[in-house]
Amino acid sequence: MTPLGGIAKQPRGFGVLLIIAATIPAALIAFAIISDLFYGSRHLGSDPIKEGEHLFGNWTLRLLVATLAITPLRRLTGWNWLAKHRRTLGLFAFGYVVLHLLTWLLLDMQFFISEFVGWQELKTDILKRPYITIGMLAFVLLIPLAVTSTKGMIARLGKRWRTLHRLVYVSAVLGVIHFWMSVKRDITEPLIFALIIAFLLGWRIRESRLKRRSAVAPA
Amino acid sequence: MVIPWRGIQLSDVIKRAQPTAAAKFVEFTTLMDPRQMPGQRIPTLDWPYNEGLRLDEAMHPLTMLATGVYGRELPNQNGAPLRLVVPWKYGFKGIKSIVRIRLTATMPKTAWSEAIASEYGFYANVNPAVDHPRWSQGSERRIGEFRRRATLPFNGYADQVASLYSGMDLRKNY
Repeated sequence: MTPLGGIAKQPRGFGVLLIIAATIPAALIAFAIISDLFYGSRHLGSDPIKEGEHLFGNWTLRLLVATLAITPLRRLTGWNWLAKHRRTLGLFAFGYVVLHLLTWLLLDMQFFISEFVGWQELKTDILKRPYITIGMLAFVLLIPLAVTSTKGMIARLGKRWRTLHRLVYVSAVLGVIHFWMSVKRDITEPLIFALIIAFLLGWRIRESRLKRRSAVAPA
Repeated sequence: MVIPWRGIQLSDVIKRAQPTAAAKFVEFTTLMDPRQMPGQRIPTLDWPYNEGLRLDEAMHPLTMLATGVYGRELPNQNGAPLRLVVPWKYGFKGIKSIVRIRLTATMPKTAWSEAIASEYGFYANVNPAVDHPRWSQGSERRIGEFRRRATLPFNGYADQVASLYSGMDLRKNY
């Protein structure tokens, strides 16, 4: 029996609502960037490109936290139907990180249009700036997870799928470190994410220890 | 856009103080008032913010005490009532809401170099050739513009101020 007792049913249309809710921030951010850059508005302050980059990254971390929170939430509430929405959240996290990366590459670095940023400068930035190296690594680790998210892939990989998808823990931690290293001085936001993720990972470590102990306990 | 400040030459103010030969630097201090400035309640920096200039930099005609911007009086967030503008240096030298100006014999402490010495120096001259430890300073995006431009040495004021630093290693004295 779960702490909150019983297994509640999934609310009608939850899946669709989740997809809509996960899309709204991206739509608003994209709209604000375009409006600020080309229509003279001031939704994102004096540096809309930097602010948009920051917001896409922020939502990536929020969605990653949401995927990590599903299991503890399930155990607490007994709402096992939450599990099937983890993939939606994970894929949206991947979508947001792609938008974060594209904003950096195309709008901030202006890779394809600027005469100051070519392959050489890009390579230098990725290899010589530790916070960008770490960010790139966090992103690259999410690619195999997105690619193997289909039902077909889950079936094909079997037991190895679970092992592979443990990479989300590494990616989330690297993402927070990347954020922490990118701020000038005020670490409040990265610290909050660090604490939340530390809690969610700590919960898992504790759960696996308890399980092992009860499995080994004498009959 | 390039920010249209309005103000007075700092040199006019310093001249009135009649600096002696012992004066080598100018030290600036901002207001300390956590009630008005909630950011000062957390020690992100060692409040109150302080900054400094070498005396010849302070006496240069381009160094300004700003009293207005965009044709209006300086808003609080831009450093009312008096704010330092040194157009050939990085913006963190532009101390806001100045309440004290002192002439000193030794190089004054500055808030950002006290916090992170490896990233913020005393001179802070705009220099595309010297990277910040975490990112390049080679190009910039101006407020209100989309495309990046090449950052110019001394922010384009090389003709007017480069002579102040002749013989100095600007990589060491960043």
